Amino acid sequence: MEGPARIAPIRNGLLERLPLARRARVISGCERVQLASKESLAEPGGEMRSVYFPTGSSISVLVPMGLSLPPEVRLAGSEGFYGIAVALGMTMSPMHARVQEPGSAWRMGSGAFRRELARTPPLRDCIDRYIFVTMAQLMRNAGCNRFHVVLQRVARRMLMTADRAHSATFRLTHESLANVLGVRRVGVTEAASVLQKRRLIGYSRGVVTILDRVGLERAACACYRDDIALYRRYLG
Amino acid sequence: MSDLRQNLLLAALSAAQLKRLARNMEAIEMPLGDVLYESGRHSSHVYFPTTSIISLLYVLESGASSQIAVVGNDGVIGVSLFMGGETTPSRAVVQSAGVGYRLPDRAIKDEFHRGGPLQHLMLRYTQALITQMAQTAVCNRHHSVDQQLARWLLHSIDRLGVPHITMTQELIATMLGVRREGVTEAAGKLQKVGVIRYRRGHISVLDRPKLEKHACECYEVVRRETARLLPWVAPH
Repeated sequence: MEGPARIAPIRNGLLERLPLARRARVISGCERVQLASKESLAEPGGEMRSVYFPTGSSISVLVPMGLSLPPEVRLAGSEGFYGIAVALGMTMSPMHARVQEPGSAWRMGSGAFRRELARTPPLRDCIDRYIFVTMAQLMRNAGCNRFHVVLQRVARRMLMTADRAHSATFRLTHESLANVLGVRRVGVTEAASVLQKRRLIGYSRGVVTILDRVGLERAACACYRDDIALYRRYLG
Repeated sequence: MSDLRQNLLLAALSAAQLKRLARNMEAIEMPLGDVLYESGRHSSHVYFPTTSIISLLYVLESGASSQIAVVGNDGVIGVSLFMGGETTPSRAVVQSAGVGYRLPDRAIKDEFHRGGPLQHLMLRYTQALITQMAQTAVCNRHHSVDQQLARWLLHSIDRLGVPHITMTQELIATMLGVRREGVTEAAGKLQKVGVIRYRRGHISVLDRPKLEKHACECYEVVRRETARLLPWVAPH
C-alpha cells in the first residue's frame, strides 16, 4: 500500500530497537500484564510505581482539568511507552493515565527501570528520542486542537487507534471520542456520519471498521502523517 | 558570573559547573519579535533568558501558529537538542525584549552527558515543560480567549518579576493563535473591570488576585507543577 503506512512493530517498537542481548535483559526485568479497559494506571499527584511498554494495548494520557472527563493529550501504544516522568527522574505523576485499548503490556517497576536506564545506554538513547518525539507531538496537538476541524481530528484519532490496535476494526464510541477530543458528542456523530457516507469507515454499535484507509488518511489533518514521519525519523 | 545566575536554572548549578559553562557562554540582546529558533531548522545554540521572555509556538503548514509554552529566566530554550533531536519542532520568538545567554549545542551536550547535577536539572526542567505543553494543548481547546489571555499575562509577569509588559495586540493574537479582535475584546474586558491597564502596547497588571480569577485553572496547574519540580524557580 502506498502512502504513510502504519506503525506496526512486532511487540513493542521501543524495545525492538534495542540490541538483542540488551533487549533480553530489559525484558527479563519486566512482567507481562493484561491491561483492562479503562483501568487507571496513574492519577495526578499519585506515585508512579511502574512504567509500561504496551504490546497489544494503548494508554491514554489525560490532562487534569477539573472536568469529570479529562481530555486526552497523547496516546501511547505499542510504538511507545508510558512513564516519561519516571525517565526524567520523577516519582509523581502530573497527569491521569488510563487504559484506552485493553490488551497486553510489559510492566517494569520504576526503580528497576531507572537502574536499567543508567546501565543501558541504548535504552537511555531510545527513551530520550521517544521523549523528543512525544514533545513534538504535544506541540502539534496544541496546534491541531486550536485549528483543525472536528472531521479531520476524528479521522486522525481513528487512524491512530487502528495503528495501536493493529487492526482495521476497533471499539470506539462517539462518547469516548468526543471526550478525548474535547468536542461535543453531536460534532463527533456528524463527522462520523460524513466519513460513513463517503464509505471510508463503517460504524455499528461502538465498533469502527476502516474501509478505505487511504481515503481516511486524506480526510485526516496532516498531523497524522507528520506524527508518523517524525517517529520514523527518530525511532524508525 | 553574577549575571548568569539571573537565569534560575543556571543559578542552581555549582560554581565549578557554572564556571565550565561560562567559558562558552555568550551574552546576547533579545529584541521583541526576534526569532531564536525556526521550526524544523537545525539549531546550533541553546538559550538561557535572564530578563527576556520567549514564546514557543507551533507553526502549522498554513502559517497559523499556536502558543505551546512561555519560557523566561526560569528555563532554557533548546531542550530537544539534548533529548536526541536535531531540529526543533517549534518556533521560539522573543515576546518580551531583554537579554540572555546562549551556549553552543556542543558545550551543553558535553556537560549534559557528564551526568550529574546539570543532567538532573535539565531532565526536571523537561518534565516541567512537558506539563506546560500538555496543559496548553488542551487549554487551546477548552478555554475562552479571556481565560487564555489572563493565563498568559500571569505566566509572563511571573517571569518578568514586575507587573508590566510591552506587547502589541497583534503579537498577542499571533502567539495565542486567535484573531486580533478576540484579543482586543478580551483585553477590553479586563481593563473595564480594573484588572489591567492597556495603553499603546504597554500592559500593566493592576489587580493580580483578580487576574488569577479570570484565568483558567491551567495557570495554577502549571505553576504548582513548576513549584514542585523546580522549587527554587517558582514565583511566590
